[in-house]
Amino acid sequence: MHDLLDDYTHSNALINTSPRLKLLLGLGAMLICISSATPIAPLFIAITMSLITVGIAKIPGRFYCTLLLIPLSFALLSSGVVAFMHGGGSQLFAMNLFGFMFEIRDDGANLALLLIARTFGGMCSLFFISLTTPMMEIFSVLKSLGLPDFLVDLSMLMYRYIFVFIDQAHLIHNAQVMRLGDAGIKNTLNSHAMLSGVLFLRAWEQGERLIVAMDARCYDGKLVLMEQGAKAKPRAIFAVVGYLVVVEAIVFLTKDIQLL
Amino acid sequence: MEAMRGVSISLEEGRKIALVGPNGAGKSTLMLMFNGILRPTSGEVLFHGQSLRYDPASLRELRRKVGMVFQNSDDQIFAPTVYQDVAFGPVNLGFPEEKVKRYVGYALAYVGLCGYERRPPHHLSGGEKKRVAIAGILAMEPEVIVLDEPTSNLDPASSEEIMDMLDELKCGGKTIIISTHDVELAYRWADEVILMEGGRILKRGTGQEVFGDPGLINKARLKLPIVVDIYRELVSRGLLSDSNPPRNVLELTDLVESRNRGTISRGTTGKIHIADVDKVGPDEINSILEGAHISYAGAMGTNAKALAERAGIILDFTYGVIDKCILKSLSGKDSLIMTSGGMVDRSVKRIQTYCEESGAKIEVVKLSSLEGPDVNPDRR
Repeated sequence: MHDLLDDYTHSNALINTSPRLKLLLGLGAMLICISSATPIAPLFIAITMSLITVGIAKIPGRFYCTLLLIPLSFALLSSGVVAFMHGGGSQLFAMNLFGFMFEIRDDGANLALLLIARTFGGMCSLFFISLTTPMMEIFSVLKSLGLPDFLVDLSMLMYRYIFVFIDQAHLIHNAQVMRLGDAGIKNTLNSHAMLSGVLFLRAWEQGERLIVAMDARCYDGKLVLMEQGAKAKPRAIFAVVGYLVVVEAIVFLTKDIQLL
Repeated sequence: MEAMRGVSISLEEGRKIALVGPNGAGKSTLMLMFNGILRPTSGEVLFHGQSLRYDPASLRELRRKVGMVFQNSDDQIFAPTVYQDVAFGPVNLGFPEEKVKRYVGYALAYVGLCGYERRPPHHLSGGEKKRVAIAGILAMEPEVIVLDEPTSNLDPASSEEIMDMLDELKCGGKTIIISTHDVELAYRWADEVILMEGGRILKRGTGQEVFGDPGLINKARLKLPIVVDIYRELVSRGLLSDSNPPRNVLELTDLVESRNRGTISRGTTGKIHIADVDKVGPDEINSILEGAHISYAGAMGTNAKALAERAGIILDFTYGVIDKCILKSLSGKDSLIMTSGGMVDRSVKRIQTYCEESGAKIEVVKLSSLEGPDVNPDRR
């Protein structure tokens, strides 16, 4: 019925590798992306991370591309604005719009490029984590890192009920469309408002039922966590550390190179 | 608002009880009182002869002994993985980790969901969710299991499997209470039926007693089970004499036959083979199936069904297995029942009782040893 990120996560080929290692790889790459001064390393990360996600974790390429389009469109829009805003350097492009001068100069263009590369690299790393590591494993890593129990427990309950409410929202939406709730912009807005309101009430009721259900099973303030996932294999640790070192080296070696 | 008035019943240990009634009859309200979620504004609830107390410690103790399975599984399964949900009760009862693991493993095996530990609930079918909900209760080892509309929203095969599992639990000594408006299910399954309407109890008794009164059933906005309906029509045409309605298809066909022929068929009856799947492996069962001209195969219980699936045996019967096999035997066909544990003896006993009551002779072959069939001719 739905095409959820979570469904792909549970069927990826890297599901049985250590969640800590996957998090290390994803977060490490993300940090390097942010710290890099030039777009080269982030672009390298974007390409390699995509290859890992599609090639090794066996996430369908088509789905992966559509997923990337969402952040990419945001990045393009905002970097466009950045390119026009920052002065300095030689003029690359100029146009006159209603008496206002719009121009792109060296610095602005470089910054925009860096912004796109960072977003792109960062998103690829994030998608690597979210497409290979089930939420539950992330929760158990967080707990072992010392996050307070109540935060982890609450997040787990929230995570569980996201799917219940997606179903509910879907059903309500269908019921509205069936009775032409999407005819015209006014109707659509109205339907949407109603859906949000009803969903809020349902969430409230579900919360009360949740308390009854927990009480009925002797709730005493404890929720278990799954055991930690698989232990990391030495070869995998070696590969991840090696990859991060190589990327860091690229950052270092390319720090003075200007693309434009 | 008043949901119930003047309700006074006592439920016996170790029985299968069905609360039957239309929507809004007060079934769910009554059930929520069984483990102290609702507290009656007047009157009291007793468990083991003791009045319920509503302080947290007593409630915990009660809720451990009286497990409740809600109608909507999504209300009940709130943990993000199957393992976590089933482990919820044991962990909150303060069991050590090793014991929690053992109990969860046992409960999941019982409902036939081994290997589902890491699955998130939104990747389960309706029937699987119901099984997880039941496993979550079983892991607390309750004495009484209360199920609100256990078969609503399930397809017929899943419903029958759930009901079969409840039978198995009852054989293990648990008291099972369900609410339903499925009259067929209540009539066939329950030892005792409690008919409710408008917050009152109209009648209680065996299925035959309760459903023997069409006026009452009509008043409760229900309908007669099809077996009773056919029986009543046959009586009104003078084909059968009026007495207790038959409980199932087997009894109905016997009634019709003995009326027609004056006796139940004395022709050749088919053999019923009973295989204990704890002792007999899939290979042996397959070789028996090939060798012994068995026309029908049925399985009772989760283990037996799992084995049949592994061995690639196509099952003809997955519910009401014993009755079906007796019916086939009476029409001269051989059959095989796969089951395990205490249900082996229960099957043999059920067939014996039937033979004694009806005078038919059915040969039961118990396959329990690995060496080969332990043939016990003329077992009655």
